[in-house]
Amino acid sequence: MDDNNFGSYFRRRIIFIMMIGFFAICITQLFNMQILEQPAYSEKSDENSVKPIYQTAPRGVFFDRNHKVMVGNKPSFTLRITPSTYDKKLNPYIEAILSTSPGYIDRILKQNESYSKFIPRRIAKDVSFKVIAWYEENASKLPGVDYIMETQRDYSFSIMGSHMFGYTKEIPMEIYQHRKNEYDIGDDIGFGGIEKTYEDYLRGDKGIKYMLVDAKQKTIGRYKNGEEDQTAVKGDDLVLTIDKDAQSVAEEAFKNKRGAVVAIEPSTGEIIAFLSAPQYNLQDFAKVTTNEVWRDLNNNPDKPMFNRASMSTFAPGSTFKMISAIAALEEGIIDTNYKINCGGGYQFGDRYFKDLHVHGTVDVETSIEKSCNTFYYSLVNKIGLDLWSKYAKKFGFGSKSRIDIPEEAAGIVPSTDYYNKVYGKNGWTKGFVISLGIGQGELNVTPLQLAQYAALFANSGKSARPHFLKGYTDMHTNLFVEVKPQTYDIGISKKSFDIVRRAMYLVVNGAGTATNIRSDELQISGKTGTAQNPHGKEHSLFIGFAPFNNPKIAIAVLVENAGFGSTVAAPIARDIIKAYLIKRNKEENKNLAAVTIVQEGKIAH
Amino acid sequence: MHINYKLQDRFDLAIFIPAVVLMIFGLLAIYSSTFNHPTASGNFQKQLIFAVVAIIAFFITFSLPQQLFKSFVIPLFFASLFFLLAVLVVGKTVYGAKSWFGIGGFGFQPSELAKLGTILMLAYWLTYKSRDINNLLDIGVALAIGFVPIMLIMLEPDMGTSIVFAIITISLIFWSGISLFGLFIVLSPGFVVFASLFGVYAFVTALLLIVAALFFFKRDLFNSITVFIINLSAGFFFDYALKILKPHQQKRISSFLDPSADPLGSGYNALQAKVAIGSGGFFGKGFLHGNQTQLRYIPQQWTDFIYCVIGEEFGFIGSVLVIALFLIIFLRLFKLSATAKDKFSVLIIIGVLTLFFSHFTINIGMNLGITPVIGLPLPFLSYGGSSLLINMVMLGIVMNIYKNRKLHT
Repeated sequence: MDDNNFGSYFRRRIIFIMMIGFFAICITQLFNMQILEQPAYSEKSDENSVKPIYQTAPRGVFFDRNHKVMVGNKPSFTLRITPSTYDKKLNPYIEAILSTSPGYIDRILKQNESYSKFIPRRIAKDVSFKVIAWYEENASKLPGVDYIMETQRDYSFSIMGSHMFGYTKEIPMEIYQHRKNEYDIGDDIGFGGIEKTYEDYLRGDKGIKYMLVDAKQKTIGRYKNGEEDQTAVKGDDLVLTIDKDAQSVAEEAFKNKRGAVVAIEPSTGEIIAFLSAPQYNLQDFAKVTTNEVWRDLNNNPDKPMFNRASMSTFAPGSTFKMISAIAALEEGIIDTNYKINCGGGYQFGDRYFKDLHVHGTVDVETSIEKSCNTFYYSLVNKIGLDLWSKYAKKFGFGSKSRIDIPEEAAGIVPSTDYYNKVYGKNGWTKGFVISLGIGQGELNVTPLQLAQYAALFANSGKSARPHFLKGYTDMHTNLFVEVKPQTYDIGISKKSFDIVRRAMYLVVNGAGTATNIRSDELQISGKTGTAQNPHGKEHSLFIGFAPFNNPKIAIAVLVENAGFGSTVAAPIARDIIKAYLIKRNKEENKNLAAVTIVQEGKIAH
Repeated sequence: MHINYKLQDRFDLAIFIPAVVLMIFGLLAIYSSTFNHPTASGNFQKQLIFAVVAIIAFFITFSLPQQLFKSFVIPLFFASLFFLLAVLVVGKTVYGAKSWFGIGGFGFQPSELAKLGTILMLAYWLTYKSRDINNLLDIGVALAIGFVPIMLIMLEPDMGTSIVFAIITISLIFWSGISLFGLFIVLSPGFVVFASLFGVYAFVTALLLIVAALFFFKRDLFNSITVFIINLSAGFFFDYALKILKPHQQKRISSFLDPSADPLGSGYNALQAKVAIGSGGFFGKGFLHGNQTQLRYIPQQWTDFIYCVIGEEFGFIGSVLVIALFLIIFLRLFKLSATAKDKFSVLIIIGVLTLFFSHFTINIGMNLGITPVIGLPLPFLSYGGSSLLINMVMLGIVMNIYKNRKLHT
């Protein structure tokens, strides 16, 4: 045995260096981790053990102009499934308790397949307490299933307003991709109407509860006793311009009809009532909207999803006669002394344009009061297409009103350029123009545009952009922010308006076409119309405003396939006006009384 | 400070006190990681009992007559081999390995006993009369003494402990004065095997390095070719051995090679251990206030990952203190090995040192993320009765050798 080598100095050195070396490595690594990189590790450690639980904020509530609730919120249970831990064998049991059709869960899971399977999917919203009790009892046998309390839209305030309010829906993937900072998967987002336009006000701020979780993601307690938690801030409440009573009268009147109503406060553009009938039930959208609901709505021949009030376009019929009248008066083509003889029609070239009655001698006032077609056949011919078109456009036809909901159509106001474009330079005749005089032909307008048009007559050419939002309560500052109306003036003389307005007064209060809705109290002025409809019976139309001397409401009513304007549309308009004005008067009197009391009080002191 | 020289002459406080302090650290860490644990909350009390028993065993070993150890060597070694065999048949499976005997509420790990048996046996064999450490047969027998328990433990399977046995065997042969070429023969297959983990190119490169080294040693052709063939076959044998490894062991190897490949598997523990230690900072989060520990991010933290409890709750200061205590024990053992009166005693101390140091290196390295995840307890700290008992018995033998260093028989 080689004694020199046993535990030699060289061997001792190697072992010694290894020990000191490893000690040095450990100290270096500890220094790196615990001192230099400590912040990064701490962050990781906190992320690890702290799980944020997001609470959706209740959306802002919709109030009407008198601060009555129209759309509220209510607490509801939402049943959720997290696919990563869920067993599809449970489908039939859950479907049975939810009483949905077999395959319902598979369908919903399929719709959301592209999301991470660790994110819970909302399977059913607004589930009954019975379901929750069942879940609680069987929770251990239902891995991947849970429920949360959420607030949900409450539509139980006796009006529907489906087209103006719009609905909310789980955020679709395309939108989510662009707004990842603001939304999480499964969040609701406004999808139409006011819900969409004012989404950023209504949404509110999510609350975050930080929970301590162990490695199995089981909740152990609150992080820092909830110090860092953020409470959910409810979305801004909106005060809308709608008058709930007027709206509800409109909805009642259209129970079994198709059509639309738009009522506007003439000087401010505030929309008092807005209806497209038939409506759809917003409550259906508050739950997880199933394909069946969509299919039913889309296949319904009455097209309930279609917003007739601002999207449907049609020829406005006699309601459009005032355009020609005001253009001719303003341009000096006629004056109040100008008269024609109505023999029951108008010969133009080889075509004869018929009137419904023989009106005899007709001036501009009578032409509106009695709705004489002959007068306008000849008048529009005198004015000429492009001048007429210019005036129609002044009143807002042919372009969008920029109302604050996304659904709106511009309509069509024909002009020389338009006809040239559609029919070619020589493809159309002057005869096309004659029927425009009585609002027929290729003219396309929406009920909203007609209401705006009525408002301009009510206020003699001055109005404001139609809008739904009167103001909102900023939930962060708790201050009410009022929305200023965007007023405009179409620049037509009061003199011309006075003549036409007087004629519109006589339509209802003289010997006109709508004397059936005459009311001394309301002082309605207006114009009836019957819009020809290539698909069936004519649409019944009425536009108007009231009271005559100081108009507070302008209105357009369309009843589809209902015949003469005076018989169907006009009474509906009267009822809505009445609902709005009578209450308004009462309130004004009340305010007056209050002022008097205060003044008396002051005197007493 | 007054030191009782008479006591220090017979009893080395510089080993005993650090060991006891480490045991106290271990108890604190075990308490912190288990006190609100649903199934492991009794571990602190059990470990406290183990600690008391271990200290008693330490003193018993310390007071035994030294001659006794030599006569114990052979029966102890074969008894431990017998237990290692028996555990494969009647052992109970814990965490995928058949390495325990269940005796009542307690378990016993025969591989711990085998550590003592193998160290004593190797020390005995390597210092027996006129052993020639460069004689191939003598090396072969020494390797066989290590290889038999290694194979039996691999069958459990417990890779970490097998590695420790291999390190002990090699370092005792090394200490006994093997020549550089002899050491090369012993170590080169290991090098080739390790290289083969990294793929075919690494394997070929390693073989080329072996060939270059053989040219450097300038031995005769027969010897050189024999060594080369041993290396080549080691590579292929390992490839075969890898295939019989349990999936979780294969995963451990692959997750060391690429930790990001399997973040929730075995790499998960390593990552969470690093997060625990790193987030501890300089002063630590405080006893019982480490969220990684208290929220149980690291499974079975009271065993192999006990060091990250210290790192998280006692911070840089605590972590360095624990390492420093170990260094004191190591340096002290190293020093004592030079004072022992015979080679047998020297090799025993070197064996004990190697055992502690390899456990320490592999465990701390794993906790700090500088070595792969290999399940090995940290001596004196990790929860476990057998390990604590045998560790203290071994310190008792060392202390016994120290006590008798001036006696001549």
